[in-house]
Amino acid sequence: MSAVLEVRDLQTRFDTLDGVVRAVDGVSFDVARGETLGIVGESGCGKSVTALSILRLIPPETGRIVGGSIRFEGRELTALPEHEMKGLRGHQISMIFQEPMTSLNPVLTVGTQIAENVVRHLGVSWSAARDRAREMLDLVRIADAKRRLDEYPHQLSGGMRQRVMIAMALSCDPQVLIADEPTTALDVTIQAQILDLMLELKEKTGTAIVLITHDLGVVAETTERVVVMYAGRKVEEAPVEALFDDPLHPYTRGLMQAIPRLDVEADAAGRRPRLQEIPGLVPILTKSIVGCAFAARCPLATERCRREAPVETDVGGGHRVACWETAR
Amino acid sequence: MSAAKDPPVLEVDGLVKHFPIVGGLLQRKVGAVRAVDGVSFAIRRGETLGLVGESGCGKSTIGKTVLKLVEPTAGRIVLGGEDVTHLPPGKMWAHRRRIQTIFQDPYSSMNPRLAAGTIVGEPLENFGLSRGAETSARVAKLFERVGLRPEAMRKYAHEFSGGQRQRLGIAKALSVNPDVIVADEPVSALDVSVQAQVLNLLIDLQEEYGLAYLFISHDLAVMRHISHRIAVMYLGRIVELTDKRTLFERPLHPYTEALLSAATAPDPRRRRSRRRLVQGDVPSPAKPPPGCHFHTRCPYALPECRVTAPPLVEVAPGHQVACLRRPPGDAGAPLSIPA
Repeated sequence: MSAVLEVRDLQTRFDTLDGVVRAVDGVSFDVARGETLGIVGESGCGKSVTALSILRLIPPETGRIVGGSIRFEGRELTALPEHEMKGLRGHQISMIFQEPMTSLNPVLTVGTQIAENVVRHLGVSWSAARDRAREMLDLVRIADAKRRLDEYPHQLSGGMRQRVMIAMALSCDPQVLIADEPTTALDVTIQAQILDLMLELKEKTGTAIVLITHDLGVVAETTERVVVMYAGRKVEEAPVEALFDDPLHPYTRGLMQAIPRLDVEADAAGRRPRLQEIPGLVPILTKSIVGCAFAARCPLATERCRREAPVETDVGGGHRVACWETAR
Repeated sequence: MSAAKDPPVLEVDGLVKHFPIVGGLLQRKVGAVRAVDGVSFAIRRGETLGLVGESGCGKSTIGKTVLKLVEPTAGRIVLGGEDVTHLPPGKMWAHRRRIQTIFQDPYSSMNPRLAAGTIVGEPLENFGLSRGAETSARVAKLFERVGLRPEAMRKYAHEFSGGQRQRLGIAKALSVNPDVIVADEPVSALDVSVQAQVLNLLIDLQEEYGLAYLFISHDLAVMRHISHRIAVMYLGRIVELTDKRTLFERPLHPYTEALLSAATAPDPRRRRSRRRLVQGDVPSPAKPPPGCHFHTRCPYALPECRVTAPPLVEVAPGHQVACLRRPPGDAGAPLSIPA
C-alpha cells in the first residue's frame, strides 16, 4: 500500500506562561490510501495537535512546528506557502471536529456553506456547486435534502450537523479526511449512525480517514490500524486486531485494563472485577522528558527506561512498539 | 446489597417536572418541556441505581429534582422515610445532609479563592457537625480516604488535576455522612485511566459506608460496572428497569435493545456484525410523540403504539418494562417486525 500521507519525526510546540509545551515530540506514521487509521490517547497526548499540524492550523501566535516533515502525495507541507495550503485544506485534505456547531457558520445556510467550499476549490458555478451540495446531503442521508439546503445550522440536530460537516468535508473528494473526536459529543445511537456513515462513505469514495479519539471502543469498531500516543510521543502502532489481541506497550495494556467493559461479567456474587488503575499522572510537557515518557508510571520500568528513550521496534506484521522491555 | 425488607433510603413516586416554554410579547407560557414525565423508583442502602439514556431524556433533571434544586411539578420524593416533596427551603435544609451530589465538572462548583481543605470542610461547619481544629482533622482524614495527601488541603482548586478535583468533590460530598449520593456523569470528563481510579473509589466507599448512589450516565459500560439496577430512560419516562445482568443479557424494551446494539465495544472482531440501528434522531422533549414516545423510531411499533402510552409494568419479578408488546409474563422472545 502506498502512503498518501507521511509524517516523520513531527515536533510541535506551544508557548505558555509555564514555558514551552512539547505537545508533539517526534511522531512518525504513514496513512495509506483509502485506509482508516486511528490515533488514540488521553487528553494532552498530542493527538489533536498532530491533526492540526498536518493541516497547518496551529495558531501562529502561540505555537509552531519546530521539526520533522509532513509529506502529502510527495509534497512537503511544512514548507508550503499559506496560499497553497489554503488550496489544499477542505479540498485534498479536510477535517471534521467534535462540535460541529462551532465550525459551522451560524448566519449562512447549510447549502451556502457546502457550495462555498465547492466553488472555492473546484471553480465551478454557484448553481453547479449547489447541485453538488444537494448531492452531498443525499449522500450523507439527510432526508429532504432540497429543503435542508436552505436551513441554518441551529435548525438541525447535533447528529444532522455532523452529517453536514461530513458532507462539506467530502464535497471536493479529498484523499484524506481527518476526523477529530467526530462522535464524542453525540448520543450513543447517533454515534453509531455517524460511524457507520463514515465507513460507508470511505468505501464509496476511497478517502483515507484519520480518526482521532480517546475511545477504544470507537477505535476497535472503525479503524484498520492504530497509533497509540502518550505525552506527545507515539508508543505503539499496530493493525487493530493485533493491538487489541496483544497490546505490547505497558501504557496500551494499562488503558485496555482500565476501561469498564460491556463484555466482562461480574462473578456469581455480582461483584465487579476491579478496574486496573494506571498509577500516577501524565508528565508535565514543559520539561524535557529523559528516557521513556511512561517510565514513572510503568510497572516494568528499569534504570535504562529512565535514562534512554526507547527506540521503536517492529515486532512483525506491522506491529511496532517503543518499549525496552516488551519489544522482544 | 442489603436485604430487600429495608425501607428505601430514597423513593420517588410519579415524579413529574415540566419546564414552561414562554414566548410572545407578553412572555406567556406557550408550552412545556416534559423533562420528567411520571417516574417512580426506589433505592436501598448500599445500592446503586443507574439512570441511563441519551441527552434530553430527563436523567439529569431527575437528579436535580430529588436534590430539590428544582421543584417537582407533581409526584412525591421520600427521603429516609420522610416526604420532602413540598418542604420549603428552610425546612429542606435539615435534610440536605442526607443527600449529597457529585458533579461532572467539580471545578465549576468550587470557589477558586478558597483552599481545598476549606472547600471540603465547609459542609461540616455549615451543618454544625464540627468546628475549627476538629474540622481540619476530619478533613485530613477525608483527604486520605479519597486518595489525596493531607498537605494538599492548602492548595487551591486550580492546582489539582481533573481526577484529583473529582476526589475533592467526593470528599466534600462524603464529609457530612450522607445516605444517598446523586452522581451526575461523575467520570464523563475524565480520561480512562483516571476514570478507573474514581470508579474504584466510589465502589470502595459504597461498600465501606453503605452509601446509596443514584448514578446518572450515558455510558453503558460504566453503568454496567457500577450499577446494581439500571433504569433506561427515553424522553422523560423510564422504559425499562431491572437488575443489570438481566438488562444486558435479556433486554425487553426495543429502545434498550437499540441502545445496547449501538454501544461500541473494545473488540475489533465484534464490529459490523451486530449493528441494528434505530433510525433518526430523538424527538424534542417539548413535543414528544403521542402514545409510546419511542414509536417513531421503533421497528416493532404497532398502530396501537401511536395512541396508547404503555405503563411501566412488572413483566417478570424485578423486571419492569413499558412496552405494549411486552405483557406481564413475557419470556423475552424476539419481537417480530410488523409488515
